[in-house]
Amino acid sequence: MNRSRTYSLVDRLRVVQLRLASVALVTMMLVTLVDVFMRYAFNSPIRGAYELVEAMMLVFVFNGMSTAFLQRRNIVIDLVDSILHRTIVVALIRLSDVLTVATITLFAYAMIKPALQSYSYGEVKMELQVPIWWFWAVALVGIAGAILCAAGALIAPPPKPRHDKEPV
Amino acid sequence: MAPSTIGAIGVLALFTMLFFRVPVWIALTLVGFIGNSIMSGVTPTFALAGTVPFDVGSAYTLSVLPLFILMGEVASVTGLSSDLFKAARVILAGARGGLAVGAIAASACFGAVCGSSVATAATMTRIALPEMRAAGYHPSLAAGSLAAGGSIGILVPPSIILVIYAAIAEQSVPRLFAACLIPGLLLTAFYMTVAVLFANLRKDYAPMSKGVSLRERVSAMKGPWQFLAVFLVTIGGIYAGIFSPTEAGSIGAFSAILLGVAARRLTLAGLLRSIENTVAVCGMLFVIVFGANLFSFFIVQTQLPVLLANGAQELHLSGLMVMVMIIIAYILFGCFLEAIGMLLITIPVFLPLVKQFGYDPVWFGIVFVIVVEVGLIHPPMGLNLFVIQAHAPDMKLTSIYGGIVPFLFAPLLLIVLMFLFPQLALWLPRVLYGAG
Repeated sequence: MNRSRTYSLVDRLRVVQLRLASVALVTMMLVTLVDVFMRYAFNSPIRGAYELVEAMMLVFVFNGMSTAFLQRRNIVIDLVDSILHRTIVVALIRLSDVLTVATITLFAYAMIKPALQSYSYGEVKMELQVPIWWFWAVALVGIAGAILCAAGALIAPPPKPRHDKEPV
Repeated sequence: MAPSTIGAIGVLALFTMLFFRVPVWIALTLVGFIGNSIMSGVTPTFALAGTVPFDVGSAYTLSVLPLFILMGEVASVTGLSSDLFKAARVILAGARGGLAVGAIAASACFGAVCGSSVATAATMTRIALPEMRAAGYHPSLAAGSLAAGGSIGILVPPSIILVIYAAIAEQSVPRLFAACLIPGLLLTAFYMTVAVLFANLRKDYAPMSKGVSLRERVSAMKGPWQFLAVFLVTIGGIYAGIFSPTEAGSIGAFSAILLGVAARRLTLAGLLRSIENTVAVCGMLFVIVFGANLFSFFIVQTQLPVLLANGAQELHLSGLMVMVMIIIAYILFGCFLEAIGMLLITIPVFLPLVKQFGYDPVWFGIVFVIVVEVGLIHPPMGLNLFVIQAHAPDMKLTSIYGGIVPFLFAPLLLIVLMFLFPQLALWLPRVLYGAG
């Protein structure tokens, strides 16, 4: 499989995750809205709205980070762009790409143990009555996609350093 | 090695990584992870690194962040900013510098539904700059008023940076939103005063515009009713204790969408773009919060803030002197650090120190945001200045720098007033929510 085909597959994964996160955001908004309406209009808030928002937050956060990784949108201090030679700046961008994969993998690896503990303890959410390990599974699936998207940035061309850009 | 030495080395390593272009979230995470491993061992650190992303990613309190960002994105797409500027322009027609004052007023109002300074500066520049240039305004006055006006976006509720501050400093979002209202209004008034003085001292910088009748002015006030509706429902709802911040965010985002659709200004494509932008922005924000949590835990273990406080006491520095030093440090950091990065890197170190000297964390949050505003507009690196230049490539950076200098006095004066009268920030939260 050539490099551009691999990249386009990763980008497709990013789009899927972006849409999942978007759906989660809209769901979060609507659930809260309906909950408020039901509470004030009928004194009958939605049971489990709070936990549903927490679940949607997990979908939103762990799927939303893929776009930031693949498109290198993370916040950097780019002072050196105008000081160092272009080759060095590109090397630093590549180093950041590698560190992104390593750091997000570190988080994912660290999350496996508490996820397994949650599975073995069999805890459930108080109102929704769903196992908490489902929530962990959602987070782990999302972060796995984020790792792939972070790795995708490794095969993408590096963005232009600041002093290569068109003058603004 | 003493824990505080390890802490100091960690902070140095963090700044070195940041300087060499390592993304803020990675620098925070790596320093936090390695530092915690040294301080308390690898196994507890892995436990912490495993639970932090889950706890942050499922935090109900943080759901306010994407919802307010979505509200701001939708407000940008639906042209609410344009209505605000048109109304301000008509109301202030005939006054020298009226367009500059109008741009500042419209920026403050737009900031009240947008919550982001850079977005406010970008949006208002797109709308107001062509009109100011067409009216013969000097680039310095036009750029200065737009950059300054844009910076108000983070000081008026719902300020996104205050939501993040609340999460890191463990403070109440409604209290912070109440605390920032009076300083936000004051700063808006100060900026307007600077614009009027600027325009009257340099009459060639701001030609007089044609006046309009009182009837036209009153009628112009009806234009941006959508802004009033969204602001009253969201921020009014929080102040009145009717909604929690998350609920207000949901209602605000939904109202903005509804009003956009009703006015036929929001297409499906525009809505999708707003939602996807929100996802992308939050994607980078939340990983920073993961890293900041690890870093914060490390700093607490090293007792670095205690060391700093002891050092200040040994040097017989008063609380005020320490605060002045912190503010100077922030102004310097503002030359190269982005606002949210600055918040997440420095608050774990400085806040315990600030509390130890008896300052209120809510008050400090507002002072911090005002200092961040200075960073957004002070040359040579003020982000809002670059935003304006990006929209007006033919405008010289020196003109923009020259134009912003008079406006820098406004936030500096406000900081002095905040020290003299802390009640500017603390009175309203106390009235609304009682003693903290």
